[in-house]
Amino acid sequence: MSTEQAGPPTGAGPAPGGGGAPPDAAVPAGAPLAAAAPAGRRGGELAYFALRNGKLVAGLVIVLFFLLVGLFAPMLLPHGPNEYDIGPQGAPPSAELWLGTTRFGQDVYAQFVHGLRSTFLVGLLGGGVAFAVGMVVGFVAGYRGGWVDEVLNMITNVVLVLPTLAVLIIVAAYLQARGVAVQSLFIGLTSWPWAARSIRAQTFSLSSRDFVDLARLSGRSSWKIIFRDIAPNMSSYLFMTFILLFGGAVLIAAGLDFIGLGPTDGTSLGLMMNQAVNWGALQLGMWWWFVPPGLGITAIVGALYVMNVGLDEVFNPKLRET
Amino acid sequence: MSLKVRDLRVYYRTLAGDVKALDGADFELADGEITGLVGESGSGKSTLGKSLIKLDGRMRYVSGTVELDGAELPVRDSARMNDFRFREVSLIPQYAMSAMNPTRKVGRMIADLLESRGERFRALRPELVRRLELVGLGEQVLGRYPIELSGGMKQRTVMVLSTLLDPSLLIADEVTSALDVSNQRAVAETLAGFRDRGFVKSMIFVTHDVALVNQIADTITVMYAGRLAEKGPAKTVVNSPRHPYTRMLISALPEVGVSHGERRLSGIPGSPPALLDPPAGCRFRDRCPLAFDKCEQEPPFAEVEPDHSVACWKA
Repeated sequence: MSTEQAGPPTGAGPAPGGGGAPPDAAVPAGAPLAAAAPAGRRGGELAYFALRNGKLVAGLVIVLFFLLVGLFAPMLLPHGPNEYDIGPQGAPPSAELWLGTTRFGQDVYAQFVHGLRSTFLVGLLGGGVAFAVGMVVGFVAGYRGGWVDEVLNMITNVVLVLPTLAVLIIVAAYLQARGVAVQSLFIGLTSWPWAARSIRAQTFSLSSRDFVDLARLSGRSSWKIIFRDIAPNMSSYLFMTFILLFGGAVLIAAGLDFIGLGPTDGTSLGLMMNQAVNWGALQLGMWWWFVPPGLGITAIVGALYVMNVGLDEVFNPKLRET
Repeated sequence: MSLKVRDLRVYYRTLAGDVKALDGADFELADGEITGLVGESGSGKSTLGKSLIKLDGRMRYVSGTVELDGAELPVRDSARMNDFRFREVSLIPQYAMSAMNPTRKVGRMIADLLESRGERFRALRPELVRRLELVGLGEQVLGRYPIELSGGMKQRTVMVLSTLLDPSLLIADEVTSALDVSNQRAVAETLAGFRDRGFVKSMIFVTHDVALVNQIADTITVMYAGRLAEKGPAKTVVNSPRHPYTRMLISALPEVGVSHGERRLSGIPGSPPALLDPPAGCRFRDRCPLAFDKCEQEPPFAEVEPDHSVACWKA
C-alpha cells in the first residue's frame, strides 16, 4: 500500500542516497510529525510507532497466533476434523485429546484448528471481495460524480438496506453444495456498501484537493488520478476498512454457520457451535465442545478491532500517545 | 498579438439560473506583455483566468472566441484543450502551495505530469534542474516530499513546473495572496524574469494587489462585475485612470509615506450588483458619482487613446 519507498530512479537525484540529504539525519527518530522524517524513512517511522503501540502489537500477536495455528496445526494431525471415534464419546479434555471429544467421538481440537482455517479463509475472501467491490464503486462514484454517482449510490443504498441476513439465508438454503469459498463470495457481495459509501465520501473530499485539480489540468487519465493521487492519500483508511470488512465477514459467517447454513463439506467454528447446540452440549455440560470455537471467534474479531484502533493511532499523528 | 479574446462569456450554472460571472470580455495581449488583472472578489477575474485554460464543472461557456498566436483555442472543449495545456497555455494555480501530491516525491510528481502531457522526463530533466537553480532551488528538491519544502519553495517549484514547456500564455492566479510581502515581490519578479528569458511569452497576473501589479506589469486590466472596466499601460491606469471605478479603486489605496492621520481613506460606497440577474446598462451605475441617463445603455469597451480602453460613456 505504501508507494513511498518504490520511487523510480527518475525521482531520486544522482546523489548517493537520493532522498534524505545529510542535514535531515539530525531529525530525532521520535519526531511527532510525519513531516519531520526524511524522505526515505517514512516507512521506518511508521514501523517505529507501530512497534510501540500496545494495541496494535497485542492484536497482531493474537491474530498471528491463531493464523499460524490454523495454517500449521491441521498438518500435524493424523486424522480429519469429522472422523468418528477418535476417542471415547463425549470425553472431557485430556492429555491425548487436548480439547476432548464430541458426542460422536470426534476430536474437538482437530475441528477447532480446521475451523480456524476456514474462518481466516472466509475473512480473507469475503472481506477481500467486499473490499474490491467497495473500492471500485466508491472511487468511481466519488471521483466521477454526476449521474454516475447517482446510479452507483442508488445501487449502494439498495444493497445497504437489503435485509442481508435474510438474503444470505435464502441463498444458502438454495445452494446444494456449499463450500467456504461460495459462502465468502456471497458475504462479500452483500457487505460492501458501507465501505463503498465511506470510500466515496473520502474520494469526494480528496478529489476537491488542489493537487488533484492540477493533475486533472494536466490531462491525466481518471484511473491514474484515482490510483496515484487519491488512493495513496487514504491508504491507511483503506487498510483499516479491509480489517473491519475481514472481521465483519468472519462474524457473518459464524452467524450463518450457527443457524445451520454453513459449509456442507468441511467444518468451521460456527458449525462446531451449531452442532454443539444441536446435540445438547449445553444441557450435558460439555463446555469443551462450544467454548473453544466461541472463544476463537471472539478473540480473532476482537483482536482485529483492537488492531484497527492501534493502526488508527499509528497512521494518525494526532492520536499518538508516545 | 499573442492573445485575442473576443466577447468571451462564461456563466456559472446554479439552480436559480446562470450567474453571469464573465459577461463579454474583449481584450488583447501583445507578445511579451504582462497584464495585471485586478478587481474585487466576484468581479470575474479568476473566472476569466480559468476559462482560458480549463472550465470547471459548474462553468458554462456561452459565447466568444479566444485566439492564441493565430490559432483558436477550443476553450469550450475540455478534451481538445488538453493539447494546449502546459504547452500553449499554462496556469500557476492560486493554491500553488498545496498543488503537489503529499504522497509522492516532487520529482516523481513532475515526471507524472510531464508523462501525461506526452513528454519524456529524462529529456527535460537538465532543463528542469537549470530552471530550479534559477529560482534558487537545488536539484535535491526532486527527491523530497512536498511536506519537506517550505511554502515559498513549493510555490517556486510549481512556477517552474508550470512554465517548463515554454507556454505562450501563462495565467498566474492570485499567486501572491498567501505570501508575505517580501515573498510577494520575489515571486512577482521571478515571473517577470521568466518572461524576460522567454520561458513564457505573455502573462495574465490575476491579483487584488494593485501596488504589486504596478511594479511588475506592463498593463493593468480592471474588471468590475463580470466586465472589463479599463485596460491600459500600468502607469496610465494608476496615475490617470479614466473609468470612475478605477479612479475610486486607486483613491481607496493607501500610499507609502503619506500620513492618513487626518482623513480617512475613502472607500467605494455600495456593493457590486448580483450577477445572477445584473441590471442592464453600465453595471457600476448605482455606485457611480458620474452616472447619467445614458448609463442605462451598456457602454462599449472602447479605445480612448492608443492601448488604453475604457468602458464608460464619460471617459
